Amino acid sequence: MTIIGGLGFTAPWLLLGLLVLPLLWILLRAVPPAPRKQVFPAVTLLLGLSDKDSQSDRTPWWLLLLRLLAVAAAILGFAGPVLNPNQKEGGSGPLVLVLDGSWAGANGWQETVQQIGSRLDEAGRANRPVALLQLTAPQALQFQAASTWQQQLPGLQPHPWQPAAKQLDTALTHIAASSDSFETLWFSDGLAYDGQHDLTQALQTRGDVTVISPGLPVLGLLPPVNKDGALELTLLRSHPEGAALGPRSVQVLARGRDPGGTHRTLAQVTAQFGTNATETSLQLSLPAELRARIERFELPDQRSAGAVALGDDSLRQREVALISSGAPDEGLALLSPLHYLRQALKPTAALIEGSLGDILPANPDVIVLADVARLAPDLQTALAAWVEEGGLLLRFAGPRLAASDTARDSEEVLMPVRLRIGGRSIGGAMSWGEPKTLAPFAAGSPFFGLPIPEEVSVSSQVVAQPDPSLASRVIAALEDGTPLVTRKALGQGQVVLFHVTANAEWSSLPLSGLFVRMLERLAVSTTTKPPQAKSLEGTTWRPITVLDGFGRSTEASALPGVSGPDLVDQPAGPMLRPGLYQSDNRSLSRNTLKSGDQLTAATWGADITLIGYNKSSEQALAGLLLGVALVLLSLDVLATLLISGLLRRGPGLALLALGLGSALGLATLPGALQAQSSAPAEASAEHVLRAGELTLAHVLTGDAKTDRIALAGLQGLSDTLYFRTSVEPSTPASIDLERDDLALYPLLYWPVTAGQQLPSPQAYERLNAYLGSGGMILFDTRDAGHAASGSASPAARRLQQLALPLDIPPLEPLPSDHVLTRSFYLLQDFPGRHPRGALWVEAAPADAEQVEGIPFRDLNDGVTPVVIGGNDWASAWAVDANGRPMLPVGRGYAGERQRELSYRFGVNLVMHVLTGNYKSDQVHVPALLERLGQ
Amino acid sequence: MSPPAARRSSAQQPVAPSGKAVHLRADAEAAAGALPPLLVQAQQLAGSMLSGDHGRRRAGLGDDFWQYRPLQQGDSRRMIDHRRSARGDQQFVRERELQIAQTVHLWVDQGASMRFASTAELPRKIDRARLIGLALSILMLRGGERVGLTGGSLPPRRGNLQILHLADALRADNTLDYAPPEDRAMAPHARALFISDFLGPFAPLERALSKAADRGVHGVLLQVLDPAEERFPFAGRTRFESVGGGLSHETLKAAALRDQYLERLAERRDALDRLCRAAGWRIGQHHSDETALSALMWLYHAMDRGQI
Repeated sequence: MTIIGGLGFTAPWLLLGLLVLPLLWILLRAVPPAPRKQVFPAVTLLLGLSDKDSQSDRTPWWLLLLRLLAVAAAILGFAGPVLNPNQKEGGSGPLVLVLDGSWAGANGWQETVQQIGSRLDEAGRANRPVALLQLTAPQALQFQAASTWQQQLPGLQPHPWQPAAKQLDTALTHIAASSDSFETLWFSDGLAYDGQHDLTQALQTRGDVTVISPGLPVLGLLPPVNKDGALELTLLRSHPEGAALGPRSVQVLARGRDPGGTHRTLAQVTAQFGTNATETSLQLSLPAELRARIERFELPDQRSAGAVALGDDSLRQREVALISSGAPDEGLALLSPLHYLRQALKPTAALIEGSLGDILPANPDVIVLADVARLAPDLQTALAAWVEEGGLLLRFAGPRLAASDTARDSEEVLMPVRLRIGGRSIGGAMSWGEPKTLAPFAAGSPFFGLPIPEEVSVSSQVVAQPDPSLASRVIAALEDGTPLVTRKALGQGQVVLFHVTANAEWSSLPLSGLFVRMLERLAVSTTTKPPQAKSLEGTTWRPITVLDGFGRSTEASALPGVSGPDLVDQPAGPMLRPGLYQSDNRSLSRNTLKSGDQLTAATWGADITLIGYNKSSEQALAGLLLGVALVLLSLDVLATLLISGLLRRGPGLALLALGLGSALGLATLPGALQAQSSAPAEASAEHVLRAGELTLAHVLTGDAKTDRIALAGLQGLSDTLYFRTSVEPSTPASIDLERDDLALYPLLYWPVTAGQQLPSPQAYERLNAYLGSGGMILFDTRDAGHAASGSASPAARRLQQLALPLDIPPLEPLPSDHVLTRSFYLLQDFPGRHPRGALWVEAAPADAEQVEGIPFRDLNDGVTPVVIGGNDWASAWAVDANGRPMLPVGRGYAGERQRELSYRFGVNLVMHVLTGNYKSDQVHVPALLERLGQ
Repeated sequence: MSPPAARRSSAQQPVAPSGKAVHLRADAEAAAGALPPLLVQAQQLAGSMLSGDHGRRRAGLGDDFWQYRPLQQGDSRRMIDHRRSARGDQQFVRERELQIAQTVHLWVDQGASMRFASTAELPRKIDRARLIGLALSILMLRGGERVGLTGGSLPPRRGNLQILHLADALRADNTLDYAPPEDRAMAPHARALFISDFLGPFAPLERALSKAADRGVHGVLLQVLDPAEERFPFAGRTRFESVGGGLSHETLKAAALRDQYLERLAERRDALDRLCRAAGWRIGQHHSDETALSALMWLYHAMDRGQI
């Protein structure tokens, strides 16, 4: 690369081409523009004429300049200019780019990729073979041309885990497999991890190692912890070598779905790091409703998986309703059937107590019925409905249940099994045998994997009747196989029965820790502490959503399930991605960072070169210059067309101005936008004025003459209405369908011209709303009713196109008994400037029949939304400023009569719009009068 | 003469064969509807003795009453008007006014040079020429005249059907770049209307007009030009070509030719003027950016005034 004046050139000899420019100037001046062909019949008169001046029109100097600039830009562009050229010469031989590629680098990923790109550029210029090794997903070293890697660069993504021992082993194997020596460039994310040192040594044996690190602290967010009813959030940051950590405040967002289902920020807090502090925590106390909605906590200005903590069941406090039979007895608290449940659930769940009728509307997550035998039939139905919608009904046996006849003969809805009469007692004074202990939980049971304490024994229980379905419903049994806990699914919910009491009367189960864990497994309660591997023994979790390196959630239905202990213990990797996992009804989040993690900055040995990111990277200017050359050349095309007259002057200049304008970046645009901002205030003032009065309006067609006549016509009609009727309209208005509010006008007059623009879809939407809310449009094709006989006139064809998207009911030619014929004047034809064209209105309902004694049918109730005709009414109505008719109508007296009739039509139309079918109702007046007379 | 209102209503519902002729006729009807029917003043039409609707101020064949005269020797008895004769002893004959029709020959230049419009908004010269020609024909046919084309392809006839024939005949394009005026088969002492741009060779026109003058045919020339031909709004290096491509002229600076061109155009006009004066014809100008009605009004006056 040659450097000239701060710019580097990859092909500097091409700059010699600039010397040709003066030659080009002379050549271009000498060659006149090509002749233009012009068809011209009067060429006979030109024959024999000779030019006085034999010199042709010269190419103007500005066009020459334009062309020279274009050529110069092209030459410079092809010479390969580079801004901020890297003046340091790179090495030679193979190069390996090692890349951490973990979540810690996700926040500055774009910059990292840019850095890799510029390193690849350098390597490409030095013709070095390059291999890329991403430690989070190592692959065998492939030495390829730098340009090949350049193409794959956009596909490079950070992974949401740190390089773990397994991946590092793979990486070491790959390095060992390559026999050559190579130079290493290590793009570090700035965090230390186990095995980093070994890898460094392995690389150093092959050649120089240079570490490139952004040198910025990495931020992380630990999973939230329940502490005294509030959530505790802990933020971490790393302390890179040699950098001073100042105080820093970081925002934390809690995001989730609102009741409407849209994702939004539910809470926002700010954490404060002190000077040199690498850890800070904050308390977040939220209402339980809101807390249960949180799906993730995140640091909004850190785009990485480590800055995201997913919410799971631990955030949800379940609402548990406790119901027992019988009156509470204060003296016997320890004997209360609910005492142990209360103690077990109090730390983790919101407890509700009361009568079932009061509790059901609150829709709790779990309802516990302790020794309740019978429910009122309506309560039972309501409870069953609640279970079917996903509720968990937990029942405990007891003396009452044992004594009652509940579920004796047939299976009840709210009972998993049928029960034998009386139950059984073992190990008492009156019975044989020892109290029974529990059998290990079977593999299909939700309790599978829970250790069973030896001291748990059962002395009394209710016994299930053997049924075909019994075996599938048992989830815990005694050592002799008697069912202890049974469960059945009901709709989306389930009913669980403990065959013992909830207190310690019948068994010691409620006294043991097993009882609490069983409740946890049944999702009755949630744990306050992060789950331990041991407590998840035997469960399999399937991923619902997983995080990518940037902390974005993606669907994970295709990924395999993970066993419970692995989910907690194993480091994250390709087989265990951070995300939200589910098993049965429980959900558990696996976050990138675990409680107790620390972010340690990577340290490198003294023999390793450590450099930061280059701030000003090389920038190739070739594309820019070639683009400029292209723009100039296209301007040249326009300008050439313009001066040779092939382009019309108006549009040509406009195009040229457009080209120049876009080149200059439209500096004047903001000003124009500002000028428009005051428009709404004026508009609303006008709306108030319009809404206060009745105003006739016409649609602007874009044809100045038609619009003028339409406005004058409405003025004439308004005057007539003012003189003759109690309707006193204000000055008529011209409506632009794209901008104006239609709701202010009861009647729109729409003259149809052949060259009219179709309104935009938004305008049609508003037109349809206008028609639907009782507005009327009078379409006037102004072709003397030829529209009716087919699409003969262009205006009629245009009308068809205009009206196609409109919501118009079926039409028919105006029947002679339509209310328009008598809403003010009695009329039978409706002339405008043309005497007799057909008039189309909304069709009468098919069942409209003439009642005897009434001269007309009872037609539509309401106003026809459109009236279509072609009599050019506006021209007949039109008056000038002095109130004189603007245009002649017909001849002599007959013409004046025609104009009068056209005014009468206008009056009838406005009356019809304003009064609807009032005149139709007038037919009942004789009957009413007759009745009054009596 | 028929009532104008009835005519107009029939014009609004054209029932005619398909094709462009229909539009041409509809347009022409619309243009003609605004004028009262044209009565071409009768003038020395001794040779063409055919009945028309014009009173000749003397007894002859016709519909209108002229005078009662006593029965003369040689009159047939059937000619006696018995209503008048029954009042007295003398027998009278009822005479009607002599009515004769004018014959008008039309020539519309169908050459390629007419198929030109400088901009898309303007009509082609040929369209304008056809419209004006047919409009005038309709006016004259309504006045009871006989209208036809020169050259014998469509002899002068009366009646509404002739309008359709004319419209049909006016559709035919001529492939020649500059069509010479058709001067054959003109009835003696008829009237003639030539519509063209008259930019072609001058000699055929001269010959046609002198031939017409020999036969006692008088008439009007209407020169239809495009505004571009009047103003010559060209600049730069340009190669001018005739519509058919037969003629061309290249110039390096079109703008410099303007004055010379306008001079030549004026010369051509002078020559046409002189020619018309010599032959007893009149000449009018029309530009295709003006309304057709203005040309029709002028023609109406030129044909009606009877100064020729």
